Amino acid sequence: MAGETALELERIRRNYGSVVAVDNVSLAVAQGEFVTLLGPSGSGKTTTLRLIGGFEELDSGAIRIRGERVDHLPAYQRDTATIFQSGALFPHKTVAENIAYGLRMRQVPRAQIAERIRQVLDIVRLTEFEERYPSQLSGGQKQRVALARSLVVRPTILLFDEPLSALDLSLRLQLRAEIKRLHDELAFSAIYVTHDQGEAMAMSSRVAVMNKGRIEQIDAPTRLFHEPTNEFVYTFIGESCCLPVRITSTAKPQDRTGQPVELKLEQKPPEGEWRLYVRPSRLKLAAEAQNAPNRLSAKIHFIEFLGDFYRYHLKSGALELFSDHRGPTGYKVGDIIDIGWSSRDMQAYR
Amino acid sequence: MTIAASGKAEIYALARQRSRIRERLSAWLLMLPALVIVLVFFGIPTVYMVRMSFNLHIDRRLYVPGFTFEHYANLFSNPLFTNAIWTTVQLSLLSALFTVLIGYGFALLVWLKPARWRMLFVGLALCPLLISEISIIFGWWMFFPKNGLLSYALVSSGLITDKISLMYTEFAAFVGLVYVTLPYCFFILLSIFDGIDKRVLEASADLGAPPSITFREVLLPLTRSGALVAFSQSFIWAMGTYATPSALGPDTLWTMGYLIQEQMLGKHNWPMAAALSVVLVIGVTCVMVMTRMLMAKRVAFHD
Amino acid sequence: MTEAVQEPEFTTRSIEPSLLQALSLAFTVFIVAYILIPILVTLVMSFNDAAMIRFPISTWSLRWYHDFFGSPQWTDALKNSIIIALGTTIVSTTSGVLAAWAFERFYIPLKDFWYLLILLPLFMPGVVLGLGVAISFGGLSIGSYSIYGTRELVIIAHSLWAMPLVFMLMEATFRTIDHRIIEASYDLGGRPVQTFLEIVVPMVSTGIISSALFAFVISLNEFVMALFLTDRDTQTLPVLMWLSLRSAGTPRLAVASVILAGAVFACLTLIVLWYVRVLRRTMR
Repeated sequence: MAGETALELERIRRNYGSVVAVDNVSLAVAQGEFVTLLGPSGSGKTTTLRLIGGFEELDSGAIRIRGERVDHLPAYQRDTATIFQSGALFPHKTVAENIAYGLRMRQVPRAQIAERIRQVLDIVRLTEFEERYPSQLSGGQKQRVALARSLVVRPTILLFDEPLSALDLSLRLQLRAEIKRLHDELAFSAIYVTHDQGEAMAMSSRVAVMNKGRIEQIDAPTRLFHEPTNEFVYTFIGESCCLPVRITSTAKPQDRTGQPVELKLEQKPPEGEWRLYVRPSRLKLAAEAQNAPNRLSAKIHFIEFLGDFYRYHLKSGALELFSDHRGPTGYKVGDIIDIGWSSRDMQAYR
Repeated sequence: MTIAASGKAEIYALARQRSRIRERLSAWLLMLPALVIVLVFFGIPTVYMVRMSFNLHIDRRLYVPGFTFEHYANLFSNPLFTNAIWTTVQLSLLSALFTVLIGYGFALLVWLKPARWRMLFVGLALCPLLISEISIIFGWWMFFPKNGLLSYALVSSGLITDKISLMYTEFAAFVGLVYVTLPYCFFILLSIFDGIDKRVLEASADLGAPPSITFREVLLPLTRSGALVAFSQSFIWAMGTYATPSALGPDTLWTMGYLIQEQMLGKHNWPMAAALSVVLVIGVTCVMVMTRMLMAKRVAFHD
Repeated sequence: MTEAVQEPEFTTRSIEPSLLQALSLAFTVFIVAYILIPILVTLVMSFNDAAMIRFPISTWSLRWYHDFFGSPQWTDALKNSIIIALGTTIVSTTSGVLAAWAFERFYIPLKDFWYLLILLPLFMPGVVLGLGVAISFGGLSIGSYSIYGTRELVIIAHSLWAMPLVFMLMEATFRTIDHRIIEASYDLGGRPVQTFLEIVVPMVSTGIISSALFAFVISLNEFVMALFLTDRDTQTLPVLMWLSLRSAGTPRLAVASVILAGAVFACLTLIVLWYVRVLRRTMR
């Protein structure tokens, strides 16, 4: 499926007054790639998407679709199709009329339109729904019609603007799988915006983690998880426990309040204030922690039962962390146990 | 996929600028018809009228270009005019007061009633709006006189012995004026009431307050500023209406509106008519501004 | 602790409920009577056979209806009223809707100022507006046509009230549109004009029709401005009624009132029927 680049962003910039919403973002999406922009609100991911779609104007930089510059063109002249958060279906038109709209704007002959509508409704599994009105559809069905409406025009690139955020959990998972299936089947190029990292990791070939208008890292999901380039990415992807400690050359490591903690580290970092991060899934408790190269002694603060597993919240001085374990372990609140991990599962930032 | 040459960058910048200009132009183009109506057919007459009020009026000619304050002076000294102004203000204040009282009660009633009734009453309240003022005048015209419905009803029910006429009385003018301004007042107040969460009343009752206390302590303060707005709007509307009071009231009841019409069509004294209009508008504007200022103060206080 | 009474309004412990109920009933009767009196009186009197307006009515007939439709003066006045009202509706609805759309969709500097400016005529008394237009434009002529007394001038004068009203209503209506639906239209290739006509207008159709109806009613019933601006050929029905008030003490005026109101209610019913049909289709 390789070939031309479907989309290229070249140092695009967008300001709102003194606030920089998108700060010199560059990105290339190959044909058939599914790239997600992931980040907290205010990170610039939605603005970037809207810049690509043509709903906002660039302050500087260039946007190319299939090699041709488009940033001077209004939205209705760009070969993109957007799936909006609420679906944004035309309420006074039937499902079929909604889908036909884009085709009509592209001067597709009438005979073909009917056929293509039928095809695309088959693809999203809404075959008998042609004459329904949006008010008669459920949330999930609306989003599928929105998908169909955008897919049918066969754009160079599909833009997803947090399409699943307004749906409840089970529907979200269902549609997420649906979108992935469609992508596998049709191999469209897409940019997907979300703040839900589970979604990002599950659906994309590459994920761009954004923060304050910049892309911190863009990589395949596994690499983002295992090889984060900086603290922001590390903490944003997956769960982590933060241990802010003060390392002194002479005494024991201390927490931020100055209290010493029973922390043994394989490799002692140089003196100073550090933030140590560990993944809770990689922590070993008590007996298993005995030979771990890094160990911390802590008291069980409280235990949460979360259905599939127990989450142990531990405290040592001002340090707090948690660890998940399936099945009861016999430890009670108030017990002081060892927690261990290997250096490979730890990151330290200053 | 390489950096575009600087020349090309300028082309794109230019294209972006051009589309931005086109957008601005479309905005103003869309506004154009409305702006023409306001600026040409309202703005120009306003300016013209102000200018006209300073013109001279000599014998039978409509107006003679010049500059004089005589019409304004006349306005404020001649008892004919000053009485008219005073009468207009008095009548408008009184009718506005009653309009608000009745409108408040009506709106309160409708607000508290369930949905079925509301539609009916709103429809009823709309009726005077959908009917021409002249029809309203004529309706009361057939109600008040000696041979009208009121007299007939009172006599045939035995309440009085002789036929009675309330036509051409200040009372009739007052009744008509309240009738004409009531719907607007009603809708203003209804929307004020709709902005209040009914549960506040329930809470008050729940805490043990009988309806009169709830009304006095809860509802009244909440609606005070809305009632003020309704009052000033009713006042302004009453000031501008001349047909109803002049048709239903005594011939001595001269309102400003009536004088304007008379000076224009009867006496053909354009400058005088213009001067009257200017004074009327300034008066109305002052009331509006004052109301707005009072409102702003109240809102700040409540916050 | 508090006893709930059948009253849906308040719960109370005092003896007041029955008194309150009686008062509100009396007030309701008063209001209903007050509003309906002139309407019913007019309606009833229009069927009076006698030439005098007096109660009680002895004979009933449609005589004055025949008289109205047989009199060219009155039917012409009706015609003028309707033509002018239609003209006002078209002019004010178009300009109001377009301006409201511009306000909503585009960037306009000093929006608050322009908003106030456009609404300004709405706050002026009809006398003043009529006077202003009559004085300024009454004497003009385009080519050999004198503007004074033309229907077009009255249409414009009426639009001074109708257009701001349409603008105000539509501006609020446009603000309720979901922006993303418009963006979706652009996204799929719909150009601005196409989007406006095919997507926006249908979504606000009820708003547009209501505003148009208001414009029509305002113009049809208006006579203060029309009094200044019409002559014998173009006078509207309300103007004719006003001028005949002192002289024609016949039920003809009652008939005129009924017909005028009838025109308004006919429009209203048409629109309600249209609403029901269209809304039932899309909203089921």
